[in-house]
Amino acid sequence: MKVNFAPLVEMRGISKSFTGVRALDNVSLEANSGEVHILVGQNGAGKSTLIKVLCGAHHPDHGEFLIDGKKVRIHSVADARRLGIAVIFQEFSLVPFLDVAQNIYLGRESRDSRKMHTEAARLLEQLGIPMDTHLLVNDLGVAQQQMIEIAKALSQNARILVMDEPTAALSEHEILRLFERIRRLKQDGIAIIYISHRLKEVFELGDRITVLRDGCVAATLVPSKTSINELVSLMVGREVDATYRRRFCEMPGEIALETRALSAVNGVRDASIQVRSGEIVGLAGLVGAGRTELLRAIFGADRKTEGEILLGGKRLMEGPEHSVASGVGLVPENRKTEGLALIRSVHDNLLVAALPRIFPNHIYRFRKAARVVADLIERLRIATHSPKRLARLLSGGNQQKVVIGKWLNAGSRFLIFDEPTRGIDVGAKAEIFSLLDSLVAQGAAVLMVSSELPEIVAVCDRAYVMRDRTIVGELQRSELTEENILRLAMHHG
Amino acid sequence: MSSFAWRLLGVLLLCVVLTLSSSAFLTVGNLLNVLRQASLIFLIASGLTLVILSAGLDLSIGANLGLSACLAAAVIKATGSIAIGIGAGLGCGMTIGILNGLLITMLRLPPFIATYGMLWMVYGINYWTMAGNTIYGFPAAFREIGSGYLLGMPIPVLLMVLSLIVGSVFTRYTTWGHEIYAIGANAEVARLSGIPVRRRLILVYTLSGAMSGLAGIVYLARLNSAEAGIGEPLLLPAIASVLIGGTSLFGGTGSLGGALIGAVILTLVLNGMNLLTISGNWQPLITGVILLLAAGIDTAARKWNESQA
Amino acid sequence: MASARRRIPGIAWLLAVLVLFFSAFGTRFASAPNLINIGNQSSILLLLALPMTLIIMTEGLDLSMGAVLGLSGVVLALLLADGHALPMALAAALGVGTLFGLANGVLIVALGMPPFVATLGMLGVAQGIALAMTDGQSVGGIGSALPGIYASRWMGIPFAIVVALLAYATFHFLLYHTRVGTYVFAIGGNREALMLAGVPANRYHVLIYAIGGLMAGAGAFLLTGRMSVGHPTAAVGMEFDAVVAVIVGGTKLERGDGWLPGTVLGVLTVGILKNGLNVMAVPSSLQIASIGMLVIVALLLDSLRERS
Repeated sequence: MKVNFAPLVEMRGISKSFTGVRALDNVSLEANSGEVHILVGQNGAGKSTLIKVLCGAHHPDHGEFLIDGKKVRIHSVADARRLGIAVIFQEFSLVPFLDVAQNIYLGRESRDSRKMHTEAARLLEQLGIPMDTHLLVNDLGVAQQQMIEIAKALSQNARILVMDEPTAALSEHEILRLFERIRRLKQDGIAIIYISHRLKEVFELGDRITVLRDGCVAATLVPSKTSINELVSLMVGREVDATYRRRFCEMPGEIALETRALSAVNGVRDASIQVRSGEIVGLAGLVGAGRTELLRAIFGADRKTEGEILLGGKRLMEGPEHSVASGVGLVPENRKTEGLALIRSVHDNLLVAALPRIFPNHIYRFRKAARVVADLIERLRIATHSPKRLARLLSGGNQQKVVIGKWLNAGSRFLIFDEPTRGIDVGAKAEIFSLLDSLVAQGAAVLMVSSELPEIVAVCDRAYVMRDRTIVGELQRSELTEENILRLAMHHG
Repeated sequence: MSSFAWRLLGVLLLCVVLTLSSSAFLTVGNLLNVLRQASLIFLIASGLTLVILSAGLDLSIGANLGLSACLAAAVIKATGSIAIGIGAGLGCGMTIGILNGLLITMLRLPPFIATYGMLWMVYGINYWTMAGNTIYGFPAAFREIGSGYLLGMPIPVLLMVLSLIVGSVFTRYTTWGHEIYAIGANAEVARLSGIPVRRRLILVYTLSGAMSGLAGIVYLARLNSAEAGIGEPLLLPAIASVLIGGTSLFGGTGSLGGALIGAVILTLVLNGMNLLTISGNWQPLITGVILLLAAGIDTAARKWNESQA
Repeated sequence: MASARRRIPGIAWLLAVLVLFFSAFGTRFASAPNLINIGNQSSILLLLALPMTLIIMTEGLDLSMGAVLGLSGVVLALLLADGHALPMALAAALGVGTLFGLANGVLIVALGMPPFVATLGMLGVAQGIALAMTDGQSVGGIGSALPGIYASRWMGIPFAIVVALLAYATFHFLLYHTRVGTYVFAIGGNREALMLAGVPANRYHVLIYAIGGLMAGAGAFLLTGRMSVGHPTAAVGMEFDAVVAVIVGGTKLERGDGWLPGTVLGVLTVGILKNGLNVMAVPSSLQIASIGMLVIVALLLDSLRERS
């Protein structure tokens, strides 16, 4: 590893907030030429935000950047690229029906097509993965597409390569080859900043590790001087929000929902869980573990391929239509695109899932509708001066209440939540949890995905943990700690 | 002031302008004529409104009208029965609508491609079966539908009002109507809320086809003759009426009342052109420009709304 | 290279079947004069189908091409009848077409209007202007220069076919060997990637529609030469045939997956289908219906293939 006097790239004191939420707080990170610096942390710790700041996509509120020890300004993606910073996100920036060389040189095409191809071939050769540059990107596998992205970065003379979870979609074999490439890049003096959730990789590949927690740097360590346990404990430990508490469920009722060996087209494999009435059951795991996919499979939003879903002991028929009629409700992660119709009013959104139930003879009566809506707005304390207000004008918390209200209206007894408090301020969070609390106290059952571990620990009676799109463990109340969850959620061993 | 009121104001304004421009405008005869013309456009546009509310599109309505009219004509002549003829015309319209619905929901064809292909297929069948002939001369009772009066109003106008009432009841007072608005606003949210999206889409296209069939029968009764392609020039005015009336191409907002006002506005403009003896050749141009204006406003409004979210 | 290498597509089989079918029905189909006839008819369609390929690849549509062709033809004929020189008249026709193409591009790309309604509106505008200018009548008296050129042969090949071949060569080069072509694939396939690469994608997107208009003008040149008159509604529906040719030829409606050689096959398929049905004395209206059927069948087969 070549070490220069000054780090190749340095970020100092970076702070960034988004509408009142502090995403990064005085973060400093540096990488030397030829170093692999691995960034770890929980979901929402600030890793993505940090690399977006580095590549010019976000502008930090405070902080500075240095390249080779000299201060530089990064105001745009173009700036970052000119300084030699290249980022490879999980969704590739490739054009499917152009060939490899055309993708590598997109926007910088040369007149001489043959030269372009030769250069591209040479780059790939250097990376150690020779391929026919006339192949269409669409015909290549994910691993090869990733190589093309790397080649693209190198062709722009990148000296700092940032990779966001590069191994998420790769097989074991492909991961080994990626590591070989990365070692070669190190020898060429490239600095690599690498986000990962797989602790095995961290120890195998990293020269240094930085742990982010709640937007701050918890520690920067050298692998040989630390351990998995230490890393895990550094990653957790966010303050539990004291404004909500729960009485946990002493005596759960009947099994409200059960899945047996459920597999679906969205990738979920062999998932078996149970939720009893009166319980709030958590579903934990890292990004990409398949939590949202499992929820969607249970609700019927995505087609199942194997296994069974039982509601109250009876087989649930496939499809959202049957789920809703049987009393299942899904509060999705993307409430703005999947939970609410933003251009419609609060009134209409609250009623959309309940029409057959409230008006069984298909005749829509405004007075009854208005009454039902008014009741709900009061009960949930949705802050809107009129039910006719368009949903898009409401705050995040109130929008979420509308989605929940929609399901209460539809008579749902089994509620599925995907990140129930994302993008919601503290006050509204408390309200939502106390609402869930009262619902299950009346016999409903809740299955909840959350990336905020303290939330799961503070609110759930039990939790399942997912990894690689299947269930890898279940934690009872007494075992439900952030460490245990993380341990199950991450690759190690 | 609500957008509906603005449009009413537009109608009044146009009437004032036209009264000032031509002495022939403010006569009972002319006004009834305008309403009669508008009613024909509205009959087709009403079904189209439902489709566009669901964020879809039906380009086959003109061809549908033509084929249904010709079929009704042929059946009346062949069986001597008006009722069976009307039934045939409506049935034809509905069938085309159902086919559109199936192409879009089962084959997942984008609506504009599916209904555009259907447009040409139906025209082709229409031209082929008519073989260049014209069918004319229908029983007086039938002709009443197009030229007759009831309670002092032309029957087509009464049919227009009836369609408006029935259609408005459907969209505002039935759950199906509200589900269609939901689908247009966000089809995925509607699906995830338990609405059977596919079934409802087939319904709207079927209704659109049925209304085209009905319009064909009224048109037939008015013209007292049928030949291939009579519905051709009605597609553009129908779409323009729906857009002028405030229904957004992007789905989820709009109303039948708006489409009626849109049809009236458009007809007033064309009527004005007639009275001022501007050649009928300019009509496609004016209609095209109005269509672009209405669509442009719709698009701009949608973009502005989105940027506020 | 993003190009002509594919397995033998379904369309080629369909074409072969059609040719065999029609040949079996009588000797007239496979005769030299008839084949040349097919070539001539198809040439104009190809001029429209080539830019339509680019438009469909970028998830767009242009319903106004037939009307714009009609208007350009009217302008061309009026200028010739008025005694103007052929080159000038041609330039005017091409100019009119390009203007409409640009208008389409601006409405769709800059304003964000859905392509079908923007081009439907422009169809009305173009049609309207053409009708108003001619009162619905043909414009004759264009002299013998243009028809003469149309009837000429270049090394034995009819003029129209020569033009079509040149057009194809130009588009092929444009799409597969120039930067513009690369950007066409990118606009359809991953527009964000193109913009991240610093390319002003909108400019090229508008250009695609402008080229469509230009080719409509070129088509007017051929059609007016063939008919010896300019007629406002002469090309009504031709854009539909072009869409059919492109889709049947294998270009997909999304992701920038286009195949230009397939468009040629598609054009030939439509041309042969029409011609064959003609030879069999099937009325032209039913021909139109069959073409409508064709696109639905092609899409159906396509989606079935992808499912399996």
